Amino acid sequence: MKSRKNIIGIVCLIVAVILPWLFNSTYYLSLFGQTLINIIIVFGLNFITGLTRNMNLGTAGIMAVGAYTSALLSTRLGISPWIGLAAAILVGFLIGRGLGYPSLRISGVYLSLTTIAFGEIVRLVLNNTTSVTGGAQGLTNVPVFSIFGFQIQRGIPFYYFLLLFMLLMFWISTRIVRSKWGRAFKAISDNPDAAESLGIDIAKIKILAFTLAAIYAALGGALYGNLMGYLNPSTFNFDFSINFVIMLMIGGIGIVRGNIIGAIVVTMLPELLRFLGDYYQLVFYTIAFIGAIKLPQGWPAGIVSLVKWVARKTGSKSRKEG
Amino acid sequence: MGDILNVSHLTKRFSGLVAVDDLSLTVKERQIHTLIGPNGAGKSTTINLITGVLKGDTGTITFAGKDISDMPTHKIAQLGLGRTFQNIKLFGAMSVIENLMVGAHKNTSQGIVNFLWNTKRAKDEEEKMRAHAEQVLKQIDMYSHKDDMVNELPYGLRKMTELGRTLMIDPKMILLDEPAAGLNPSERQEFIQHLKDVYDSGIDLFLIEHNMDVVMSISHYITVINFGAKIAEGEPKEVVNNPEVIKAYLGSRFKAE
Ligand SMILES: Nc1ncnc2c1ncn2[C@@H]1O[C@H](COP(=O)(O)OP(=O)(O)O)[C@@H](O)[C@H]1O
Ligand SMILES: [Mg+2]
Repeated sequence: MKSRKNIIGIVCLIVAVILPWLFNSTYYLSLFGQTLINIIIVFGLNFITGLTRNMNLGTAGIMAVGAYTSALLSTRLGISPWIGLAAAILVGFLIGRGLGYPSLRISGVYLSLTTIAFGEIVRLVLNNTTSVTGGAQGLTNVPVFSIFGFQIQRGIPFYYFLLLFMLLMFWISTRIVRSKWGRAFKAISDNPDAAESLGIDIAKIKILAFTLAAIYAALGGALYGNLMGYLNPSTFNFDFSINFVIMLMIGGIGIVRGNIIGAIVVTMLPELLRFLGDYYQLVFYTIAFIGAIKLPQGWPAGIVSLVKWVARKTGSKSRKEG
Repeated sequence: MGDILNVSHLTKRFSGLVAVDDLSLTVKERQIHTLIGPNGAGKSTTINLITGVLKGDTGTITFAGKDISDMPTHKIAQLGLGRTFQNIKLFGAMSVIENLMVGAHKNTSQGIVNFLWNTKRAKDEEEKMRAHAEQVLKQIDMYSHKDDMVNELPYGLRKMTELGRTLMIDPKMILLDEPAAGLNPSERQEFIQHLKDVYDSGIDLFLIEHNMDVVMSISHYITVINFGAKIAEGEPKEVVNNPEVIKAYLGSRFKAE
């Protein structure tokens, strides 16, 4: 079982490596890059919404803060995007703390509303501080990274850069989920009374989960600016935040590998459904909605059990016939 | 021997109802102390007050020499006070060994930043937690179930898992809320034996129990409460022959020979 999973992983990796050569156009490379960034952000959301079950509908806002922090440092002050990335981690940390504290006092719908409010405030501020952020006009000429004096150009090089970055975050996330931290995240949502009785400080663990989620989102935002080369507040809207939750649900809440699948489906599906024109959103959200109800464990787990069910049915039939 | 737990003039009201009424009791070190009383007498509430799940209206509680009256639950647990629940509270989405390993969390020292870069130490810590859990599972005869999901276990083994999990915090003392309830006679015998082993390993026990066979076979000292107030306490033999205890609780259910 484990070796089969490893083989699937290696095949996926090979596909990911040759993909940009098969679809070598600016459009596709930008789409793939966005997919990789979304994967990273869902890894983060998995901690807070997946494992500790606190709804976060402000992901796009956190992403925006990370994106603008890094992009403003490099475009306005000429600071290296690497430092911008570090700055994004710092603001992610601060936002995580800031959103984590209210989560200790409020939960459920009220917490969701707080995170929505956060996202909207960020967007309004970005829109209205024109002199700094460029306002609705946006921010252009966000630079790319350099390593040892070589620029990582947008296109195939930056795709590989993002792929490596995603794999690093995958490795980190898997380690966290499988460690005492992952267990503590699950424990405080599964049975908070029991967790406390074992000496676990729920407040601390919850804030940690929020902080991780915010750092991932801010990092993703910074990378997004580098990928696109320009930023506009309207990108980071409420729909975008919801999409991250849908990615999480599709992949199966709490499952790191599933996060990847969810992010790929939600980022790529609109492109596949493009022929539907205006109906695409209707179809997309209908599919996501049905998936949420019918496959609460996520699509991959749902498909696996469907395959098993079919195998059992046909197996028992052939046994009867034979 | 000193006192491990001291409850002094503890009162807890729920709107009109006095669930715990000016209750004082002392648990001595190296004793198995049992709290008995009719249903609704306030036994579970007492444990919830001691562990900080509920806040008393008046009274003080000290554990191992520290005033824990105003401490949050997790701090109290960190001092080494473990507990089990009347309605088992396990982490349903996890396996048996994972449930136990959550119990070891508080005794680990590596922070998240160190965890991220010091992979060697992280791995060592994880292995230590796992080894500890495996050792406890062997102690309670549950090693063969270590990878079972707790939700799929029969009732008796879920109770045992809960005991194992609280052992993982390295407790000085464990409070058990009706540990033998719902167990069949052979499971009950087994559970009592495990409790005795736990006690022999140096952990003091305070339990709530209805089954008088269990109470008599395990207790060094008994406190009886009714309507939240203490009506008797003493050695098992004295207590079961106390007329007031017989009237309020034991009735014809138990006759001491
Ligand atoms: N959270 C609560 N809110 C209101 N009443 C409660 C609460 N918990 C317990 N009670 C009441 O307090 C009394 C004592 O309950 P409890 O301590 O559970 O009794 P027992 O001795 O059976 O464990 C009961 O009358 C019960 O209904
Ligand atoms: Mg009770």
